[in-house]
Amino acid sequence: MNPQKMTKELNSLSVSLKKWLKTPEQRLGLISSVNGQQLITLCLNTTKAETEFWETEIQKNSYPSLTQQLPLCHWFERLNFDLFGIIPEGHPRFKHVLLHEEYEPGFFPLRKNPKEQIKYDPCHRQYQFMQVEGDEVYEIPVGPIHAGIIEPGHFRFSCLGEIIINLEIHLGYLHRGIEKRICEVPIQQVRFVVEAAATDTSASNALAHARAFESINKVTIPQRAILLRSLALESERIANHITDLIGLAGDIGLIAVAANYSVLRGQTLSINDWLSGNRFLRSFIVPGGISRDPCKNSIIAIKKISSSLLCEIEKLTKIFLSNQVVEERMCNVGSISKSLAEEFAFVGPTARACGITYDARQCFSPTDDPARGIEVATAKTGDVMARAQIRFQEVLSSLKLIIQICDLLEPGPYRLGINEFKELETNAIGVSIVESPRGELIHLAMTDENGKISRYIIKDPSINNWTALSIAVRNNLLADFPLCNKSFSLSYGGHDL
Amino acid sequence: MIKLLQYLISQGQRTEKNLFPDLPKTCNGQPYLTSNNCKDINCKLCEELCPTAAIQITKMKEENAISLDLGSCITCAECINICSSGTIMPNRSTKTAREERNKLILSNKNLPDTTDYHSQNNSLFQNDLEKNHKKLGKYQAHSIACRVVSTGCSACDLEIAAAGNPIFDMERFGISIVASPRFADVLLVTGPVPKAMHEPLLRCYEAMPEPRKVIAVGTCATSGGVHKNGYTEANGASNILPIDVFIPGCPPHPWSVIHGILTAFNRV
Repeated sequence: MNPQKMTKELNSLSVSLKKWLKTPEQRLGLISSVNGQQLITLCLNTTKAETEFWETEIQKNSYPSLTQQLPLCHWFERLNFDLFGIIPEGHPRFKHVLLHEEYEPGFFPLRKNPKEQIKYDPCHRQYQFMQVEGDEVYEIPVGPIHAGIIEPGHFRFSCLGEIIINLEIHLGYLHRGIEKRICEVPIQQVRFVVEAAATDTSASNALAHARAFESINKVTIPQRAILLRSLALESERIANHITDLIGLAGDIGLIAVAANYSVLRGQTLSINDWLSGNRFLRSFIVPGGISRDPCKNSIIAIKKISSSLLCEIEKLTKIFLSNQVVEERMCNVGSISKSLAEEFAFVGPTARACGITYDARQCFSPTDDPARGIEVATAKTGDVMARAQIRFQEVLSSLKLIIQICDLLEPGPYRLGINEFKELETNAIGVSIVESPRGELIHLAMTDENGKISRYIIKDPSINNWTALSIAVRNNLLADFPLCNKSFSLSYGGHDL
Repeated sequence: MIKLLQYLISQGQRTEKNLFPDLPKTCNGQPYLTSNNCKDINCKLCEELCPTAAIQITKMKEENAISLDLGSCITCAECINICSSGTIMPNRSTKTAREERNKLILSNKNLPDTTDYHSQNNSLFQNDLEKNHKKLGKYQAHSIACRVVSTGCSACDLEIAAAGNPIFDMERFGISIVASPRFADVLLVTGPVPKAMHEPLLRCYEAMPEPRKVIAVGTCATSGGVHKNGYTEANGASNILPIDVFIPGCPPHPWSVIHGILTAFNRV
């Protein structure tokens, strides 16, 4: 969609943002910058499916921090400092997120002039962890390389006995400079870079990217492509949610259940194979439609696999979640309250597990996408069990949606002409909001006067949700941390970009 | 609990009996070069479309010499779809690992070197493998402990994890994933190794006892893929560590991962 563009004065920004966030259907999308000389704020209205794009000029790379009044801005303000050198004055926990001691001081990659001297640098590149003091308080450092097969990140636990008092998460190990790379490559190749941001959600990223470019060029895509894209997105959601259930079962020690889930995950990946020829749906969704049209037999196969999965997953998960050991481990562990989720604007299954009904599929999908009518599963307790239940319910509703789409599909064109996206409109902004398996994913593309991409922002759902993990584990047992971690299903690669 | 046990027993055995099968026909697989010459020697569509500059065309007298670097290829299949002369075709073999970097660079002028890539010619080899599976001796000479260091987008990690699931079951070859470099024989590196991971990766390698091997899993670890030459110096693992085996693919199939690990110990 094309957002409504507005200019806001710096001194009225926090007041307007507060006013905007008063009603629950209005949300903050992201806060970022184009080249370090301004702040851009994207505001979402979920009932009207509209967005507003606020631009605020800032002087001398600093401005009074918004975090103290609006805690949900805290991560964005830290990210902006890393990438642009914009300093939010008075930010309560101000440190680097992405670029650490490996990078020379004063280097801000997305600033207009990356090595330009800024006013002052309030934090050193060396990361300072928060110290918890007191008798018998000890620290456990974990990472960046973890024991299992997971992405890198560092966790610093401050514990008293077996209880976690504080968890600080140090990220940035996977910072690969994706947002800068997108501006460097030819526009037809942006989709490959976007998919490499986090490949477990490559279809969501590709879909968000495609919709952003389509809104810049103001084109509508064929109905068959809308349906098949929706199918791809749901298939990816199922695979991701099952991966999380594998992790939960494995961490509790039910290895055989985990093994059975991984067989079911393999079947989900075979849906992707039938659909796109790739287990991770890579290079399937492209601006203007989809890259290949699955034949009739493929659709029949997909429908058959989905129907059998529906019954298998229901059978296994009902046994799994009603198991006494599982209940003991997952209930009342890692709880998050609804008010906290609203305060920090958590998204996706994490938010839905505490009773927030926001699902971007309902409001921001194209008008003739059957995903608009999806039933949103919510829970109230906000603990590990609630998040597992939400994932299970979403797997079921996604499988039903896939079967529904298979019936709706009619032969027809599936892609606009290849020449449609050789050039982009000049001085345009395209925004797309997609419900990825982890939650609300936003892509924002801006073009300059030559039709080149001047800024491309990816707001992964994990940017909102990493805070949820560090709050949820407080006062929980150290041994419950792996379960909490898996239940949030956070992406390191999507966050670090 | 009894319900759970009943369910588990009812599931039976799911392990794939056929070792290293070709990917199904619906899959894109990796590209390979055939002896067919380009129909139009001025057609450079594949070179233009390639997002990682893996294809390079040099004009010779009346035909084109094409080189295709599988170590840079992100298997987007654009070149396969656009090629009208059958010069670039899909290769659905899962036996893709190579011990030397330059063996990943295919050329249409030097075909004997690359024939073992062509899945069609693999049927004889396939029968051998099946016979071997009955004995399993060749694969189970001794166990292999692997340590995984992930530095990328998590696709390769998911495929390595999938190689341990009941379908592929890498433990039947004696391969296990271990939680510490101290008792690992092999280091599996995934991802392009951005600047912040240089030191942790090196320290993990140094903590391993000798003899030790390093396997670069996936295109990013081999060459940096779409990330190379950026400000984060994410140019793959080969600039940091000596690599014994390269597994191309973005991400490689679980069978390819197992094949790569066995290749490192000359067991295929």
